[in-house]
Amino acid sequence: MNKNNIFMIGWEYPPHNSGGLGVACHGLTTALSSPSNKIYFSLPYKYSGSLKHMTLLDCSHPDWGNDIEQPPFFAYDHFPALDRVDPANLAVNDLSLLSQSELEKQVSQYHDQVINNSKKKDFSVIHAHDWMSFPAGMSLKQKSGKPLVAHIHSTEFDRSPVGGSQYIIKSEYDGMKFADRVIAVSAYTKKILVDKYGIDHQKITVVHNGIDPVEKTDHGEHHFAQARPVIVFMGRLTGQKGPEYFLDLAQSVLHYLPEAIFIVAGNGDLYQELLFTTAHKGLSSKVLFSGFVRDRQKAKLLDRADVFVMPSLSEPFGLVAVEAAQRSTPVIISKNSGVAEVLPSSIQADFWDIDLMTQSIVELIKNKQLSQDVVKNQNIELENVTWKSAAQKVTEVYQQLAS
Amino acid sequence: MPQICFYFQLHQPYRLSDFNVFDLNNEADYFSKDNKTIFQKVSNKSYRPMLGLLLKLAKEHKEFKFSLSCSGVFLEQALEFDHEVISFIQQLVKTGQVELLAETYYHSLAGLYSRSEFSLQVKKHNDLIKELFDYQPVIFRNSELIYNNYIAEQVETMGYQAILTEAVERYLHGRDRTKPYQSYTEKPLPLLLKHAPLSDDIAFRFSNKSWPEHPLTVEKYLRWVEVYPEDHLVNLFMDFETFGEHQWEDTGIFQFFERFISEFILRDYNRFVTPREVVKDLEVSQLPVYDVPEPISWADVDRDLTAWVDNDLQKDTINKVYELESLVLKTANSQLIEKWRRLQTSDNFYYMCTKWSNDGDVHAYFSPFETPFEAYRHFSIVLADLIIKIESENQLEHLTAK
Repeated sequence: MNKNNIFMIGWEYPPHNSGGLGVACHGLTTALSSPSNKIYFSLPYKYSGSLKHMTLLDCSHPDWGNDIEQPPFFAYDHFPALDRVDPANLAVNDLSLLSQSELEKQVSQYHDQVINNSKKKDFSVIHAHDWMSFPAGMSLKQKSGKPLVAHIHSTEFDRSPVGGSQYIIKSEYDGMKFADRVIAVSAYTKKILVDKYGIDHQKITVVHNGIDPVEKTDHGEHHFAQARPVIVFMGRLTGQKGPEYFLDLAQSVLHYLPEAIFIVAGNGDLYQELLFTTAHKGLSSKVLFSGFVRDRQKAKLLDRADVFVMPSLSEPFGLVAVEAAQRSTPVIISKNSGVAEVLPSSIQADFWDIDLMTQSIVELIKNKQLSQDVVKNQNIELENVTWKSAAQKVTEVYQQLAS
Repeated sequence: MPQICFYFQLHQPYRLSDFNVFDLNNEADYFSKDNKTIFQKVSNKSYRPMLGLLLKLAKEHKEFKFSLSCSGVFLEQALEFDHEVISFIQQLVKTGQVELLAETYYHSLAGLYSRSEFSLQVKKHNDLIKELFDYQPVIFRNSELIYNNYIAEQVETMGYQAILTEAVERYLHGRDRTKPYQSYTEKPLPLLLKHAPLSDDIAFRFSNKSWPEHPLTVEKYLRWVEVYPEDHLVNLFMDFETFGEHQWEDTGIFQFFERFISEFILRDYNRFVTPREVVKDLEVSQLPVYDVPEPISWADVDRDLTAWVDNDLQKDTINKVYELESLVLKTANSQLIEKWRRLQTSDNFYYMCTKWSNDGDVHAYFSPFETPFEAYRHFSIVLADLIIKIESENQLEHLTAK
């Protein structure tokens, strides 16, 4: 028996991911895998590509149709990260449109499939990612007697600040209680787990997400909207991300920088409302909506941005702010975010503090030296934001459990 | 037994391209390459066959007369994409049985937003009509028949002799729509009001199978028209594309029209007239007054401006466009000015309409965008680009002046 094998229970994996979870699972498993660490990774669907660094287990349920190629529902996103939203597809995949009984049924079906697929697999630790995988993780721990790590990428408190699903909150709570160790993506999230879920702080290890390095690009390489300050918001257009605060911010900044252009990138349930608000505030031609951007366009936009703003109400980590920083863009991030811990030299503000954010943007735009200093310091901090370092910490957790 | 006055509208906007934020301050075209294909498609289905039919009827029946109004952006596209459309209109004008109307070159709402821009666009249109058709229009019709007292006052100062508009009950107060009126202005102009029920029977309901009167036969329609006595005027105003595009050829719309014209003329007491003839002998001061303080139009059930200027998306963008007037003119850059004027075309705002129900369906049918939100999103980005270019042009000017 190989002592270092890991049984991971996942839910999504790029490219069929709705948010940070899939990206994090990719980064972490890639860094964790080694000849001595075999990883089994379960997904609730048939992964269409092939992966060399781990063994994927198709744990889809026959009830969900033959050979489904994405999760039966996207856990975090009303709008999956696709270029175009297909309403027919949406009805099946939108978490908020599923009845609770249907949700419970699918999670329980996934549980059954994971247990079936775990037979005859050798592993020394179970690592479950977020609430959808916790029921399976708990059963597997019971059956195998192996320790369970519950990895929290985001909580229902982040996603639904005004009160989310009791079923999901309970799944999160049960999973963490039953687990031997809990991994939180940030100290900010750890605090939520302690304060809101009453989890013992000694049981929780903070493991910040890493990021894959990108080729450094010249800030001026992508020429569009030249000679204009460009301020960018990128994220799901949903309450959690605070896009309404970005519009207030735009209106405020325009008093000082009338030539500035604000770009909102993303899609989501607030899209139409945000357009109306923009027009109502008289911000047409000032606040522009790019729609959902990915890959090259995403890089281009983050590259071109003179300032990136993430005014999230609650953000367990906030990968996109790191991506912006990687593109040598000074970032302003909400204090309620995990990413502030790995980018301390970024500018941090309360998501509602329009005055402070306005002042910061005006200074960053007018004072090139300040902007360059922030970028320089961010770059130094980015050197430590690696999946290698995240994998190291996770390995330490495994080792502690084994001893 | 009444007189029939036909007016057909020819218009095609320059639809926006898929201009996005990455195109800002770059060279991408604001206007879609699809405009050519759309124009040619509509031309094959409607312009060519209907213009051909009108020409044939005009040659067969000296008594057959009608009026046409062609927006400047329509004529421009015809010149570029299907020149034969222009030749057809030239031949029609030569028959002497066709009257051409005046309007804004860009099919805009300038009459409500800028006096100077309005008169300039009307003049530019007038010049093009003269150049292409050697014709001087004397009667005015505004985009979408949009009208109020203020517009009448402006049109009067431009020297036109009458205006075509919609008969709207809230200002007509039960009076006949089949009589000419005078505008409520210091120097009144005669007004000819559209007969919406009879016009829309052809334009909108002709092929509607759930309409109780479907199918509309020539006999039935003649009966409805001939209800009116001799001294009444039935103004049948409609989009030219009614023929072949809104009502497809297989609905029998062309045969219906051809037979209707021939049958109508057969009876001695029936007469076709054009607006210019109608107003020739009118004693304006004797006409009843049509007082329209708030703008009306021929669109939707409301017959007001809400198809173009209703929600915040529409209001903010159209306000922003007209706020640019002095800045864009200051550049003296004819290309920038031309782009700015094309953005004024009413269709751009029509696509942003979020009214639902039946009207919403009509809007969706005409829009190149999947939703009003996409229409707004693109317009806003194009506007941002135009502003960037105007400002940098003006800055350059400023620097050279120094």
